[in-house]
Amino acid sequence: MLRKLLVAVPLAAAMAGPASAGPSDDPAAVLQALIDSTSSYYLTQSEQNLMMMPDNPALWSLEEGEALFKTPRGPKNVSLEGCDFGKGPGVLEGAYVELPRYFKDTGKVMDLGNRLIHCMKTLQGFPADDPAVKEIHGSKSDHMKLQTYIAAQSNGMPWNPPMDHPLEKAMRDAGEVVFYRRSGPFDFNCAACHGEPGKRVRASVLPYAQDPKEWTKAISWPAFRVGQDNTRSSQHRLRECIWQMRYPPIVAGSDLSIALLSYWTELARGQPAIIPDMKR
Amino acid sequence: MFDTKIRVAAACAALALAGTYATAADVDYTKMTPQELAEYLIFEAKGYKFDAQVQTEGATAKDRLVQDELQKVCTETRNKPSPEQAAKISAAARESIKYPEGDIKLGDWKKGRELAWSGFGYRLDPNFDDHKKSAPGANCYNCHEFAGDRQGGTIGPSLRNYGKLRGTEQPVLKLAYGIIYNAHSMFPCTRMPRQGAKGLLTEAQILDVMAYLFDPESPVNKE
Ligand code: HEC
Repeated sequence: MLRKLLVAVPLAAAMAGPASAGPSDDPAAVLQALIDSTSSYYLTQSEQNLMMMPDNPALWSLEEGEALFKTPRGPKNVSLEGCDFGKGPGVLEGAYVELPRYFKDTGKVMDLGNRLIHCMKTLQGFPADDPAVKEIHGSKSDHMKLQTYIAAQSNGMPWNPPMDHPLEKAMRDAGEVVFYRRSGPFDFNCAACHGEPGKRVRASVLPYAQDPKEWTKAISWPAFRVGQDNTRSSQHRLRECIWQMRYPPIVAGSDLSIALLSYWTELARGQPAIIPDMKR
Repeated sequence: MFDTKIRVAAACAALALAGTYATAADVDYTKMTPQELAEYLIFEAKGYKFDAQVQTEGATAKDRLVQDELQKVCTETRNKPSPEQAAKISAAARESIKYPEGDIKLGDWKKGRELAWSGFGYRLDPNFDDHKKSAPGANCYNCHEFAGDRQGGTIGPSLRNYGKLRGTEQPVLKLAYGIIYNAHSMFPCTRMPRQGAKGLLTEAQILDVMAYLFDPESPVNKE
């Protein structure tokens, strides 16, 4: 049943692999090609998840997201098909692997979540406090459905965040500083847990930030979090690591969060996105 | 007159925005160094929720992001301080250590084992660790292996057979106490939290954890 859905995803028929120009329709094949090209305990740690990929529950989010995306909604009763995610209005193919990016109309570097909020408000006329705009976490949220659909149109394509605008570089470089900045009651930075290859926190195998082939899976969101029984976003993963670090909660969509996402996307440059992925 | 009204309105709009959402309206990020921009995003652009509830009375969530000297030097050098910096760090760390009065007496290894296992404590919103309901743990297992009974992390060295390999003479115990209290005394810019110096564990708790490491009856030394 779910396999059918996968095939139904309207994508170019390009095969998986780092070199492919267009998106692939099979995240499992993209992951398998990566696994075959390197040796990484992080990539292979959950055999069960690998086997489950064809029945990934995030595929339901994807399907619901496609319907939401194409349905006229909001006070202005228009669909999101006119939303520009960076490659022109309505162009989704390869848009996600080039986020965060600078948008001229807002003058800001935005991630997928922020861009969706922008279009829901300006294009569809949703007020800022509408649940469609405001609820950003959980499989039931419009955000996670839409994000999964949009991001999946970049499955198998190499991360390629543009660094043409000075703001994009500024955000990425500030993100690098934040990644290595030690603070909090435990003196942690991100590198404390992601700064060495092949390490574990208890039973969890940690992705190494300087290994793009591991890091591409680490940043491949939306993904279905098996342990949480929900489709989750990059912003949600960020929030969780920040919580483990004993920091105050990060504001989703803040420039701080975008800076971190800009740097973490840079770290996976050139490696193929696996979307939707499955994680522990 | 008309002009003033517009300006006031604009100022109000900016204020309203600042309260809810980070805005880059009046600063040029591209004119800042990456370090300046990072500090700006953390402290001025409301990247973290500084009004979040914390466990420590009198402290604020914002305090947690303000770096002390050690955090600054270890950040700037990416944990590779120069020999001079390293000497200063370890001297300051040794200075920070308050040893128990008299000889070091090991506590209860069973309590130590539970402390070493517990990852509870100091986490904030969205899942606040209420220290009134349960005392914070020591988080050791996240990074260390102790014995075969529970899987530990590999970020720090394995501590299997710790006491069996080292014995329990006072100088050995004193060294271990110092490392748990403030590991920078021995390993400048280590990733290990400063359990004693930052008030994360009490003296009695450190002695319990040490019993887990050194007590001949502890599973750590029973393999
Ligand atoms: C105290 C250790 C720790 C720190 C510090 C930490 N993380 Fe993580 N991180 C983890 C763990 C554990 C996982 C889950 C890995 C798994 O399940 O295999 C994880 C997962 C991730 C993932 C997704 C990979 C996955 O499989 O779920 C990303 C991306 C990530 N962290 C980024 C960061 C960033 C950015 C920071 C700094 C803001 C950070 N982490 C700080 C422990 C940490």
